[in-house]
Amino acid sequence: MRDLLLSFALYLHRSKRYKSAKIFAKDILFNENNSYKRYFDITIIFLVISSVFILIYEVKNPVPLWLDNYDIYVVSFIFTIEYFLRLWVHNDISEIIIKEYNDTKFLGKEFNIYCVLKKSLLEKLKYMVTPSAIVDLLAILPAYRPLRILRVFILFRVFKLLRYTKSINQFVDVIVNKKFELLTLLFLLLFIVFASGVAIYILEADENSNINSLFDGIYWAIVTISTVGYGDIAPITGVGRAISILIIVSGIAMISFVTSIIVSAFSERLDELKEDRIVEQMNKSKSFMIICGYGQMTKMFFRQKRKNIGKYVIMDNDSSRVEAAQKNGYIAIKEDASSYKTLSRFDAKYCDITILCLTSSDVENIYITLNAKSISRNIKVITRVNDTENIDKFKHAGANELLLPNVVANSMIYIAITQPTMYKAIHAILTGKSIANIDEIHVHNSHAIVGREIGELDFSVHKLLFLGISRDGKFIFNPSKNTKIESYDILLVMGRKISLEYFKELHEGDIYVKR
Amino acid sequence: MLKDSIAIFGYGNHGKFIANGLLTDSFNVTVIESDEIFFKNAQNDGFKTVFIDVTKDSELKKIELDTFSKLVCVMDDEHLNVFVTLSLRSLFKDAYILSISDSLNVTRKLQMAGANKVIDLYEVSANKIYNILEKPIATKLLEDFVSNKSGISFREMLIPNESFLDGKMAEKIDFSSYGVLLVGMIDKELGNAFLFITAGISHKLDSGDIIVCLGEKIDLDKFEELIKSKEDI
Repeated sequence: MRDLLLSFALYLHRSKRYKSAKIFAKDILFNENNSYKRYFDITIIFLVISSVFILIYEVKNPVPLWLDNYDIYVVSFIFTIEYFLRLWVHNDISEIIIKEYNDTKFLGKEFNIYCVLKKSLLEKLKYMVTPSAIVDLLAILPAYRPLRILRVFILFRVFKLLRYTKSINQFVDVIVNKKFELLTLLFLLLFIVFASGVAIYILEADENSNINSLFDGIYWAIVTISTVGYGDIAPITGVGRAISILIIVSGIAMISFVTSIIVSAFSERLDELKEDRIVEQMNKSKSFMIICGYGQMTKMFFRQKRKNIGKYVIMDNDSSRVEAAQKNGYIAIKEDASSYKTLSRFDAKYCDITILCLTSSDVENIYITLNAKSISRNIKVITRVNDTENIDKFKHAGANELLLPNVVANSMIYIAITQPTMYKAIHAILTGKSIANIDEIHVHNSHAIVGREIGELDFSVHKLLFLGISRDGKFIFNPSKNTKIESYDILLVMGRKISLEYFKELHEGDIYVKR
Repeated sequence: MLKDSIAIFGYGNHGKFIANGLLTDSFNVTVIESDEIFFKNAQNDGFKTVFIDVTKDSELKKIELDTFSKLVCVMDDEHLNVFVTLSLRSLFKDAYILSISDSLNVTRKLQMAGANKVIDLYEVSANKIYNILEKPIATKLLEDFVSNKSGISFREMLIPNESFLDGKMAEKIDFSSYGVLLVGMIDKELGNAFLFITAGISHKLDSGDIIVCLGEKIDLDKFEELIKSKEDI
């Protein structure tokens, strides 16, 4: 038996299919970036809602058989599968057995498989008693026909929805944070309810026909303190009414206390919650940009009003600048981009992240660059360098692209002084004015123009200026007319956007421009 | 008016770079400063330097600024820079004033103050971010052209009298066979605006027009010589 279990564990340990199946199940259940998870979530939510609707409909109307069958077999079946999947991926028994076996062999001890099995099964049991696992289990129970009373448990299916909403967790978080204040108030409340319930019982039990037990007294106290006041039980003696007055006044005070505690707890964490939302949304998209610092450079960047820059978030340490950015309608959060904690919240594994370090301080920019690169080499960093002395440091830190506003501005002034005519041209080209737009055409493998000569492609007819070819990292300026175009060439062309678009359209399906 | 004599206000971050660049290109540079440390720096670097309080009109008048072809305001303090631009414009109606700005608001103020050209510190760099994201290779090459790193650069040329280009349509001439590319021109007949060749308007080349070409230095030199001749070789 021992050997059989062990060899089975070994078999599972070695099986690639088993492993990939487990990883896939884990992915679909927990990984937000898995593309199938969304469909899975939607299916579960649909099942929950439909079964609750059937329950409600059933109260007053006869339900057709197929609907009943759907409810019992389909829904419950899928929920059962989901339950076992969650149980399955919770831990890995075969891995634990093998690890334990290797360890005991290493130490030269006797290997006891039952001990290990017990330990790992206990681990599963621990998961089974967590609230969410219990809810999952209870949601399956209504399928058991003989117990019609269990139909009420369908409501537990609604609780399953909570797993798919983040807000409830955040709400619980907020409440837990204010545990001390709320508990204090709760004890005070209990004390008042109990004291006044006992008091009314003692004072009026003999005279008031509605109060027959201590429970009636406490029930009255709760109804009164909560300001609900059904009126089924009402004090009739003067002392009883005096107690009512006290209990009502303290009730109002208590309710407003609780409300203000919860509200203040929320407003304290409001920014944080908003940030979480933004970060979450970013992580859901394939590629996005993190812009560090909201200064002149960032403002200018947004001023260009070029085509949609995609998803982005501005980060700044200074709250007044964050406010200014938000006022201008940009997505901004107050966070320190140089801290590891901040940047590691973004999912560098699944998303294409580009970080723009545009703060006015080189020290800050270098720090952010290093921080980003320490999290993942895949994060692309474009950084501003103010002092040319620091260029090497930025390169060393791993920045992908450097922006040198001072140097660029200086050379622009220089050109404006020495060659005023050219200034206009260069300025237009560098700022990508529509006429002077320089673009690249990436020639792919099966492209129609591969093998054709430059002279054959009449660029001037399309009002385009052909500048040259970038081939294997080298630039060939103004190649001769009989140069043949090869796969993976990048053609550098200047012209109006529409001319370029038209040129591309002519070779539709065969030509593409990166991004 | 002396050609190629330039007055630079401010010898800070930008002034220093520009002044040195102009000096190597044998321009006649005069630095005007009101900060003692910067003034000394400029003197030590061997510039003709004037030390005055730039906020005083009477002192500005003393240095006969109308003898300069261009006045460049690149003071580190943006307030002072706007003020100097304004003073210069009110004193010298016809002067060509160039100013640097570090934000949009300042750009607007400088234009109101009467600067002929305002260069925004961040505009080109902010555009570069877009370019890097959209077309990384073109951006890299373009930068090399502008900074003349790859040997290929832009050059403006005046079409001389009796050039073989005179009177010809720009589209009819195959510039690429000379190793250069015509990017655009200033056509006197169509006003003084710069026209890109890609705009799609037929250009007739006349003597006196300025053309801007892209190419390697040797080819540009050759072509510049060539257009002086009557006949196309």
